[in-house]
This record gives sequence, structure tokens and C-alpha cells, in this order.
Amino acid sequence: MSKTDLPDAKAMLDSRGLYDGPTIHSMNPLLLMEKIIRERIIDSMYWKEQAWGLNAATLLDRAVELQFIGGQYANQKPTPFICLILKMLQLNPEREILLEYVQDEDFKYLRVLAAFYIRLAWPAAEIYKTLEPLMADYRKIRLRTQSGYKLTFVDEFIDELLTKERVCDIALPRMPTRAQLEDMDELEPREPLVSDVDSDEEGEEGEMMEE
Amino acid sequence: MSKPKGVYDNAATGDTSFRRTWDREEYAQKAAERQSREAKERKERYEAKLAGKKYIPKSEVDANAEETRFDDSRMIEARRGRIRLDENLNKVQIVPLGTTGSRRGKGPGYYCEACDLNFTNSLEYVEHLNSKQHLNATGQTDVVERATLEMVRERLIWLKQRKHEQDKAEEFDLAKRLAERKTIEEQERLEKKERKRIKKEETRQKKVLTATETSEQTSGVDVDAAMMARMMGFGGFTSTKTR
Repeated sequence: MSKTDLPDAKAMLDSRGLYDGPTIHSMNPLLLMEKIIRERIIDSMYWKEQAWGLNAATLLDRAVELQFIGGQYANQKPTPFICLILKMLQLNPEREILLEYVQDEDFKYLRVLAAFYIRLAWPAAEIYKTLEPLMADYRKIRLRTQSGYKLTFVDEFIDELLTKERVCDIALPRMPTRAQLEDMDELEPREPLVSDVDSDEEGEEGEMMEE
Repeated sequence: MSKPKGVYDNAATGDTSFRRTWDREEYAQKAAERQSREAKERKERYEAKLAGKKYIPKSEVDANAEETRFDDSRMIEARRGRIRLDENLNKVQIVPLGTTGSRRGKGPGYYCEACDLNFTNSLEYVEHLNSKQHLNATGQTDVVERATLEMVRERLIWLKQRKHEQDKAEEFDLAKRLAERKTIEEQERLEKKERKRIKKEETRQKKVLTATETSEQTSGVDVDAAMMARMMGFGGFTSTKTR
């Protein structure tokens, strides 16, 4: 991997000739976002002023300043959140860096941002493994939509990422369900985060004994 | 009768003062610089020819850039703060007179000093600040240092520290501000009391003064007035309110 990044996405979106940069799901990472929203982002002031010249470290400065998540708001303006997602797609940060983002406890919007990127970029089994532990995070987050703000929670958002096809006005890459992955032996059955099922387990064992 | 003065009759400036003046020394220096540069190039060309190579002319920017191509200090850094787009709002700036290019120092808008260009809207201006042209003019390369895991960790720790400090500072501020507020209120209360006291004193003095005046009047200085008053059915021209 090169020692330098580019300040903006111009070179990566240059459509002359074959693309030979880093790929995600064997395609240009920036194309994971639909053309229309991508162009709105690139035309936006936030992208040009705040997201320009960031790298994986300085991206943190912007991520901790986030006040809300969402895709587009008001008159189809892209949110800073979605601008930073495009930035991350352009930067293509290493796996360890993303884990560092996600595992941080202090900044909830940074965690949500990294979770969204992971859902876009990583293989399915790893997405489940990395994001499911975050369902224990019940902190509130603001979601800004075309019609105003809404209240949501980190765990609720993670659940949406894992189950829905479209989150924050972006079509997520298709992903097999958890059950399918379990059938293919790529995932272990999920350990429930709430552990008040001891008595139930005993009951089941009892039933099995009877059988 | 004197003739009305025209624009060109102003003796103080002289009729040709609107013309541009030239700093002869500066241009002489520039010419010398150009000559030395050309001499250097000629020499390089000659040496290249002797060595049997093709001479590739380099622009000055490239010549400087090549040595420090991947110097960290020349790499782009993310913006520290916001661009203050309304900084020069409602101001008139004098910009140097350039050649008559399409966008050079003409009309209202944002002006980039390094590139001597004018922009009519903020988006265009910011786009220019990001452009290769501007980066070259300000001596930057168009690459950003790629962050390593250590850099990310460091940054995150720093941000956390900053957040905790801010939280602490806010708490501290609250108590301090309450105390400040209390002293200010106390002071205001005292001032108000003092003002009230002074006012009271003034009114009392005034009353004493008027009382003495009326007593003088009634003591027969103005007999006519007293007579008139008695005729009209009242004791005097001052208030009869008991003091």
C-alpha cells in the first residue's frame, strides 16, 4: 500500500481507462455509493472544505464532531456522516484501524461511522462477527432525514445494518442472512448478549434427558 | 468669476498622475535575474549536448519540488479550522493591477492572493484552494500522508484527553461563573441602594429649599402676590401638602 493518500476523490473517479487502484468487492470502492448521491457529496461544501486532505488519523477529528447520522437531509443535502463514509471508501483504511475506530467507547458517532463502513466493505461473516458485539451499546444517536431529526440507538442502527437493504439512503451490498451463513458453517450460532436464559437451558436439558 | 474645475485641472495631482509608474530598480533586478537564469540554462544545454544527452527544460517550481517531493512538511494537511468565507464581507480590498485576464482582480468576490485570481462564489473559491494550481503556487504537493495504526491511536488518545479536559473545564466554569454572577449582583444591589439614597437626599434638599422660599414669600416680600392669592381663595402658590 502506498505511503500517501490523495486529498480528494477526483483521481479515483476518473473514468478513462481501467481502474487499477484498491478494490472492495472487486470494484472501485467509491462506486459502492450510487452515482447521484456520490455527486451530491462531491459538490457539497462539507466535502470540499472539511473532508479535503483527510487521512485515517485526521478523519477522527471530523468524526468526533459529528452531531447526527443520516443520508440526505433538507433539500437533498448530503449529511457530514455520509460525506465521511465516502471519504473512508476513498482512503480504504486498514483492518486494524477500523477495529480501533469501532472498539472506541468514548465517541458513539465514530463507532457508528466505522460500523457503516465495515458493513459496506467487509465480507459477510466478518461483518456479523464485528458488528454483533456492538448491539450491547444502547446509547442514543440522532438520525437526520429529509423530514427532520429522529431518535435512534446504536444497537438499533447496527440491527438495521445487518438486516436492511437500504440504510442512510445508500443501497448496501447484498449479504447472506445469518442463518444462511450458519448453514454454510461460516459462523457459529450467535451467543445471546442477555444472559438470563440459564433456567431455560436447564429446562431444555431436562427435556432432552426425558427423551 | 472663476471657471469650474474639471477633473484634469487638479493641480495637486497633475493630469497624468493616473498613469502607472514603474519601479525601475525592481525591473532592472528582474532583468538581471532573467539573464542569469538564461545563462545557466544555456550552460546546462551545452553540457547536455557535450554529454550526448537531450536537455529537458525544467520549470523552476519542478526544480524545487523534485528535491523535496516526499518531504512531510510539503504534504497537504487537513484543514485545522473552517475557512472563514465571510471574513472580508462588506470590505473593499485593493488588489494589485494585473494584466487583463478574464478572472484577474476583477469585480467583487473572493480573491486568492497567491494565484491572483478572483472567484464569484464560495464553492468555486474553496475548489480553487483545493486545486493543483493553488497548491503549486503555495508550494505544496497534492498528496496526503497515509496514517498508520500508531498515528490513529495517538490521535484518538489525544482527542479523548481533550474531551475529558473540556468536560472538566465546563464543570469548573459553572461554579466559577455562579460565584462571579453573585459578586456582580451584590455590587449592582449596592449601587442601586446608593443611587436611591442620593436621590432621596436630593429631593429632601429641594423640599427644604422650596419651603424656605415659600416662607420668605409669605413673610411679606411679595405682598401683592399674597393679596391676590387670598383673593382667589388659596394661601399661596406652593403646595399645601403637609411636610
